[in-house]
Amino acid sequence: MASSAGEWSAEQIDDYEALISTTDVELLKKAWRNEKASPEILPFEEALVKRAKEQIQLMEETVDDFEESGHDPLIVSLYQMDLDRVQFLLRSYLRVRLQKIEKFMFYIWKTDTYRNRLSIEEEKFTERCIRDMGKHLEETVLSKMPDNYQSVLKQSVISEEDDMVASRKPCFNASLFLKDHVQYIWGYDLQNMRGKFPEPQLDTFVVAKCERTTRPLYLDGSRQSAGFDSRQVAIRTLFTV
Amino acid sequence: MHGRKAYELVKEFGSGEKGHLKIFNNELFERVIEECNEHHNALQSLIRKMQEEGLEVQTAKNADHYGALIHHISLIRNKRCLMAYVFNRAEIIRDLAWKVGLLHELPREIQEKFSDSEEQYFKDHSKSLKLYMSQLSLDVNVDMVPPKDPYIKVRVLEDLGSGIILSDKSANFARHSMHFLKRTDAEQYIARGLMEELTG
Repeated sequence: MASSAGEWSAEQIDDYEALISTTDVELLKKAWRNEKASPEILPFEEALVKRAKEQIQLMEETVDDFEESGHDPLIVSLYQMDLDRVQFLLRSYLRVRLQKIEKFMFYIWKTDTYRNRLSIEEEKFTERCIRDMGKHLEETVLSKMPDNYQSVLKQSVISEEDDMVASRKPCFNASLFLKDHVQYIWGYDLQNMRGKFPEPQLDTFVVAKCERTTRPLYLDGSRQSAGFDSRQVAIRTLFTV
Repeated sequence: MHGRKAYELVKEFGSGEKGHLKIFNNELFERVIEECNEHHNALQSLIRKMQEEGLEVQTAKNADHYGALIHHISLIRNKRCLMAYVFNRAEIIRDLAWKVGLLHELPREIQEKFSDSEEQYFKDHSKSLKLYMSQLSLDVNVDMVPPKDPYIKVRVLEDLGSGIILSDKSANFARHSMHFLKRTDAEQYIARGLMEELTG
C-alpha cells in the first residue's frame, strides 16, 4: 500500500472497499440479492449461513446480557434492530430458496446442476414436496385416468420426454443487470462467460449500482466499449442476438 | 365437443381472483374424467378394429388410425387440463400455508373450498415445512416483511384469552386491548386476522 504522505491512492481505496465488502453481513446481503433476482436456484452458501447463525446467536446473547445489566436502553435497541435486520436477511434468503423449490420441484430434482445446489435439508424438503404433490395428484387425477396415462411427468406412456405441466422449468426471460460482483445470471459464470444461452427477451430490467468503473458488457463480444467514469446508478441491459 | 368441459374447468380457475380459491368443482371434474374414459374406450376399440383387420397400428394411415389419434390427443388434453387445475390450486394452497401459518386452522370459509385431498395436501406440506425449520432450528416464516421497528403497536381483534406466551412477557389478550409487542411475535396473529397493527 505505497502512498505519498497522507493521501489515499486509488489502490488503497480499492483495498479498503474490498475489505469492507467481505464482512459476513455484506456477503449475506449479496447472496440474498442474487437469490432474489435470479429465476433459478443458486448454489447454497453453506459456510456463510453457518457463520451467520453463529453470529446471530452471539448477538442475541449480548443483547440479553445488556438488557439484564441495565445497559443504556438506546444502545440496546440499536443492537436489537441490527440483530433483527440480519435475521431478516438470513430468513428471507432461506425463504426465497424454499419458494423456488416449491415452484419447480420436479425440474430441480431431475436436473443435476440444480439438484447439486441444494443443501442437505433442502434436498430432504424437495423429496417430501415431490412425495406430497405426487400423492395429491395421484389421488385426485391420476388414479382415475386410464392405464398408460397415469404418469406424473409424462402425458402418456408414448411420450418421449417428461412433458407434463409439473415438470416445467423456470422462465429465463428476464434480462438482468447486475453489480460487478454478482457471479451468476441464468447459469452463466460471469468470470468465464461460458454457459448455455436460453433465449432471453427484454422483459424486465433491473437497475443496479456500480461500485467501480466498469464498461458495458456485450455478451457477443462484438463491440468495444467506452468507459464510465463515475459511481452513478447505471441502467444497462443485455442485448442478445 | 371434445375438450369443452375441460376448458370450462380451466377457465373457471382462471376467472377467479388471483390468489383466491373457488370451491373445488367436483361435478365438472368428474365429468371430465368420464370423458377421458370414454375417449380411452373409443381409442381401444378403434385399435382393436385395426388389429383385427390385420393392419399395423402405427403406420396404417386410414380413417381409424386418425380417429384413434384424435381420441388420444383429446385424452391427453383433458389430462393436462385436470392436472393444471389441481396443480395450480395446490400452488395457492402452499401460499396460504406460508401466509396464515403452518398447521393452524384456516378460517372456515377457506377450508370449505378444499377437496379432501387438498386438505390432506395442506397438512402434509405444513408438516414438511415445519420439519425443515426444526432441522435448521430457525423459523423461516416469521419476518415476512423487512423490519422497520422492532416493536409494534397492535390492537387485539378477537378474544385470545390470557397466558399466551410471548418471547419476553406474557400478556392478557382481551378483545380491543392494545399492546406493544415484538414484531416477530405479533406477525402470526396479524396474518390470521386476530390482531391488527396500529400505524401512525
